[in-house]
Amino acid sequence: MGEEEEKRSSENGVESKEEEQDEQENNVLRFLDSLDSYLVLMDSLSSTLRQGWMELASARHSMGASRINSALFDLKHHNAATSLEVNHHDADTTMQQTCFTLCKWASPDTQNLCSKEAKLEEGELLQRKASSPQIRHRGASRSSASEEVQEKRPQPYGPPVTVDDQVQKERSKSLSVFGALVSPKLRGAQLSFETALETLVEIANIRSSILRAHDQVQEGMKTTM
Amino acid sequence: MKVSRDVTFDEKSSWDWTDQDKEQVQIPSQNSTLIAMIADEDTITGFLLVGMVNVDLRRKTNYLIVDSKTMVKKIEDTFKEFTAREDIAIVLISQYVASMIRFLVDSYNNLVPTILEIPSKDHPYDPTHDFFLSRVKYLFSAESVASGWR
Repeated sequence: MGEEEEKRSSENGVESKEEEQDEQENNVLRFLDSLDSYLVLMDSLSSTLRQGWMELASARHSMGASRINSALFDLKHHNAATSLEVNHHDADTTMQQTCFTLCKWASPDTQNLCSKEAKLEEGELLQRKASSPQIRHRGASRSSASEEVQEKRPQPYGPPVTVDDQVQKERSKSLSVFGALVSPKLRGAQLSFETALETLVEIANIRSSILRAHDQVQEGMKTTM
Repeated sequence: MKVSRDVTFDEKSSWDWTDQDKEQVQIPSQNSTLIAMIADEDTITGFLLVGMVNVDLRRKTNYLIVDSKTMVKKIEDTFKEFTAREDIAIVLISQYVASMIRFLVDSYNNLVPTILEIPSKDHPYDPTHDFFLSRVKYLFSAESVASGWR
């Protein structure tokens, strides 16, 4: 009987060691996947920014260099229409993850534009990796990457059309720095940089995931040693 | 909740996230923080189109346009200012500009505001110069050597 008990306990010990090893391997895999997602997003960011610069150059060519110039930047007091919400998300007591949520085109009339985005869990990261890096689309409907990026919509205070009008108003306000009539290329540049901004926020969140995955790997190594 | 943010620019090159560091930069929730930019004119113009520019009552902005005449000291001071501000969550910096103040960027250890190196029109993104990737690479190789996984 004593021998049987010893055998069972040693088997249990071996099993738990194997489980720990599996968990550690999963942590390393998550770490590497997050890193891969980071590189893919950086590549996507580079191409989006290149497109934006090209469109800006085209707009400058058609409108004139004096009309698209840093000298026109408004230095009067005004708040940014686009901001970030930072949340600290505790996975457990030892590991924490910072989440950035983008709030686009907020105006004084629509203060609570930021809706809570789903937190980027590791599972979502792996799913994202499986598909091509998608631009985050907010709004009532999900669209493919080839369609125009939609803005984040708040809880509507009135009919949806009103919210769209507000967003368009804010967009026009940003464009109006360069005059009343602007080239379509400048509008195109605005969309490209909007996409780039979303990618940047995703990159910031991925980095937070990389740090968390790294902490988990370190934690696993300490327990196995 | 007030957040203490001790920005350390010491010579510590290792990336050692102690519990104290994590406590110092904990931000349970922070609404309406900004994205600061240190980049060339075209990049700033592009992000201005997306409504990222903020000008406060004292006419302080959340961006710095870097051109051929910009002094390195000015870039350093602006970087320190942006990383010390509590209303800034992300600092975007062109990679070639970050290379001018590499010592400062590499010795930056806080989680928020986070520093993102971005490509510029004339200088494409180089992953070998990205300080975040080089730290991860160092950590990963150091860890693997220490644990004997290789």
